[in-house]
Amino acid sequence: MKKTTSLIIVMLLSIGIFSSCRRQQQTAAGSVYYLNFKPEQDAAWQELAREYTEETGVQVTVLTASEGNYEATLTSEIGKNDPPTLFQVNGPVGLQNWKNYCYDLSSSAVYSELTDKNFALTENNMVYGIAYVIETYGIIYNKTLLNKYFASTFSTIKSVDEINGFDSFATVVREIQANKESLGVSGAFTSAGMDSSSDWRFKTHLANMPIYYEYKDENITSTSAIKGTYLDNYKQIWDLYIENATVPKTAIATKTATDAQTEFKTGRAVFYQNGTWEYSNCKFDPASGEGLLDAEFGMLPIYIGAPGEENQGLCTGSENYWCVNKNASPEDIEATLQFINWVVTSDTGTESLAEDMNFVSPFKNAESADNPLVDIANEYIEDGKISVSWNFSTIPSDAWKNGVGTALTQYAAGSGSWESVRKAFVEGWASEYAAANR
Amino acid sequence: MRKIRSHLTSLFFAVISIIYVSPIFIVLMNSFKRRTAISSEPFKLPNAESFISLGNYITGMTFGNYPFYKSVLYSFIITIASALLILICTSMCAWFIVRVDNKICKIFYYLCIFSMIVPFQMVMYTLSKTADSLSLNTPFTIPIIYLGFGAGLAVFMFVGFVKSIPLSMEESASIDGCGPMRTFFEVILPIMKPTLISVGILQIMWIWNDYLLPYLVLDIKKYRTIPIHIQYLNGSYGQTDIGAIMALIVLSIIPIIIFYFTSQKYIIKGIIAGSVKG
Amino acid sequence: MKRLLSRWFPIFFLPTALSFIIGFLYPFISGIYLSFCSFITTSDATFIGIENYKAVFSDPSFLYSFLFTIAFALVSVVLINLIAFMIAYALTSGIRGANLFRTVFFMPNLIGGIVLGYIWQLIFDGILSRYGTSISLNPTYGFWGLIILMCWQQIGYMMIIYIAGLQSVPEDIYEAARIDGAGKWQILKKVTVPMVMPSITICTFLTLTNSFKLFDQNLSLTAGQPGTVGAGGRTVYLTEMLALNIYNTFYRNNNTRGIGQAKAVIFFLIVTVIALSQLYFTRRKEVQQ
Repeated sequence: MKKTTSLIIVMLLSIGIFSSCRRQQQTAAGSVYYLNFKPEQDAAWQELAREYTEETGVQVTVLTASEGNYEATLTSEIGKNDPPTLFQVNGPVGLQNWKNYCYDLSSSAVYSELTDKNFALTENNMVYGIAYVIETYGIIYNKTLLNKYFASTFSTIKSVDEINGFDSFATVVREIQANKESLGVSGAFTSAGMDSSSDWRFKTHLANMPIYYEYKDENITSTSAIKGTYLDNYKQIWDLYIENATVPKTAIATKTATDAQTEFKTGRAVFYQNGTWEYSNCKFDPASGEGLLDAEFGMLPIYIGAPGEENQGLCTGSENYWCVNKNASPEDIEATLQFINWVVTSDTGTESLAEDMNFVSPFKNAESADNPLVDIANEYIEDGKISVSWNFSTIPSDAWKNGVGTALTQYAAGSGSWESVRKAFVEGWASEYAAANR
Repeated sequence: MRKIRSHLTSLFFAVISIIYVSPIFIVLMNSFKRRTAISSEPFKLPNAESFISLGNYITGMTFGNYPFYKSVLYSFIITIASALLILICTSMCAWFIVRVDNKICKIFYYLCIFSMIVPFQMVMYTLSKTADSLSLNTPFTIPIIYLGFGAGLAVFMFVGFVKSIPLSMEESASIDGCGPMRTFFEVILPIMKPTLISVGILQIMWIWNDYLLPYLVLDIKKYRTIPIHIQYLNGSYGQTDIGAIMALIVLSIIPIIIFYFTSQKYIIKGIIAGSVKG
Repeated sequence: MKRLLSRWFPIFFLPTALSFIIGFLYPFISGIYLSFCSFITTSDATFIGIENYKAVFSDPSFLYSFLFTIAFALVSVVLINLIAFMIAYALTSGIRGANLFRTVFFMPNLIGGIVLGYIWQLIFDGILSRYGTSISLNPTYGFWGLIILMCWQQIGYMMIIYIAGLQSVPEDIYEAARIDGAGKWQILKKVTVPMVMPSITICTFLTLTNSFKLFDQNLSLTAGQPGTVGAGGRTVYLTEMLALNIYNTFYRNNNTRGIGQAKAVIFFLIVTVIALSQLYFTRRKEVQQ
């Protein structure tokens, strides 16, 4: 009796070990396992995977990491018996973690499909990652409301063409704020929410402006120590945001992304710093009767008062790069390369990227996305404006962003000084860089 | 006089109770509101403008490509199987530890206490790898992980209570010719009923609401639980559907409330049974 | 009996012990090994000696969050146990509606930690915003906010354990005490408290370790905010507890996972010392049966 029972227990526990051995034998044909980053595109990827399997018979599994857990999910999944064959990194700094897992894509078909080789993450002639979506951000505005301002008696600026630098933009913002009742808005800007759902707009995207101009002056693409030459400009634009918003500047600490989005959608604010991806959230929704018509969307560059900014365009770049897992079996790597090549070349794939995911992708066969904000971004380029590159991907760590974000919040609330922002920005950069590159 | 005082105490507790449940009430109330109304005015009752009846519930249940009913099913399987396994194995183990009380038992007992101190973050990656290589990544095998990881608390609590059981009861059973199995199941287990239920409630609460462990251990391409499903409602770039999240929280609380109310009866019964031993 | 039982160890002892090794001990020991390594995933670890530990001691945020956690644990352990015991005592002394109240007090446990944090953030900020501030702007509010949240959640849990303990005190002991002419207060002090000492041991231990390990609620209520910029431009977060500090270290950059692991080991050692000395002192007071 005793022996039988103990035997059963030992057997039960060993079943697990046996079944794990069994599983490893089955992947002969090659399959794809994509660990997707963007939850809002999950459904589209699942659909695309299904169609690919129908067409070719190759198994494609798509798993989306839950929000804020991509690094944890990737760390856990990549150590398993059946690891992702395709994953993503967010730029040169993010690549440092996963470089040893990246297959060299320099001879892959998908690399040759890139319209511009700058959209690849390259180090020592090895191609580690390929951008699959190009995004643009700036100051989105509500055309109807801004035109109302231009037509009013109190406006000194009469058309959007006159806004070509910080001073003219600040004039517009301050006049709107001063006359918000007569324009029927709650403020010029949406709330600059510093809740974690929204703070990236300022600690990362807005912080890109002073970094960009400093890199430009120094003629560099990354640095171990930032000087903070344009920090006064950063302060200037931040002050403008928080002093002319729908809420007092002491209230932004807990304002969320949804708050700002709602304010913009319901016409309570004229300006909203955000990007092309925000179109689908703010477009007119017949069910609720909220949102902007396509013709009402406008977008301005973020002017911070830097020299030569009259030629400045919008901020365009990528923080989503595909990487192929080097440690996957050769069959799986081959299957993965074929799959992504199919995604960027076939009709089904390019249609899905452009229409279902609303992506602007940097591939030769890419279809144009159905998005007025993208059209505006293209107009800026056609007009010869110089796009601001996404240098925030060279920020040494997330801890740096969080430090700057916290200092910005407290500066706005009056419980911290601008000096703290400066310290977090300049000294924090040096110490974070040193910590990451020891 | 005594009666008045007792009434006053009841009244006092009633007031505290209302304050106590109000956060849960806020969730319930907000689950029927439009998501824009939740963030702007969290304390207001739904009105004609913000009320969307079951809209949030429908969104929450039909969200994404993973069927909600499957998450519910797996949540139930994992919670029930793990809790039963933990209760049976650890109560036996605790009795063994207290009664045998040799070196191995002592070491194991202290290891159990250690395990309660260790932050999950310290073991999460090695645990997910171990579980994966032993195929403990399905709802049917993950109870072994829960037994291992939850053993600390359960063994600790059972040991505390077994110590208070007088030896004389077991001795008389063994004089009657009962082996350890019969002694345990016929004498010890009935006495432990209140503790079994307390430990059971605590374990069930933990496993039912647990998010990070199943997220990292389960093969989430195939298996998800309700907390994982809720976490997936958090989209990137602030696309959080707080309304649907509120609705799913309400749904996920319901089974646990039902369970708690039914097991309450047994707690009272168990206490009566337990107090006879005196 | 003891001899007979010890031969049954494959059935009584082994299943739990084996699962414990798989589910805890092995991951834990490899976790300790990882604290001496530089790694991104568990399979690409390279041994680097005590470098990670050196880095921990040069990190001011770790010391700060350690002190913050100690303060938090002290206050919450005392408050939770006092209140939970008083409620359990009142509810077992036969007041009307005891069952209902017991259910109500236990209800906060029905909601997971992250969600609880969000609900309380809504509530605290709903109140604080009237005074132009927020829980994430003032570390004092953050501290007490966490205490309130922790009490709200844990009191019901501990109350259940205290009720079980109180109910298991045999009625005849009270009877004997009353016959000896003991007053209500004296019975509480001389009979009830010593008799429920095992429950007190368990509850203090649980609240202590729960306070130390607090993570979900910390993350969702304050996320460590606010912070001050310290030496080297590095921000120290003023309501960041140890577990959150460790978690944030993991993803700081490509060198810090080992440091996070080293912090976890140190954290574990500290809590072990504190928790074991607590157990030692309260266990001594338990009545031998």
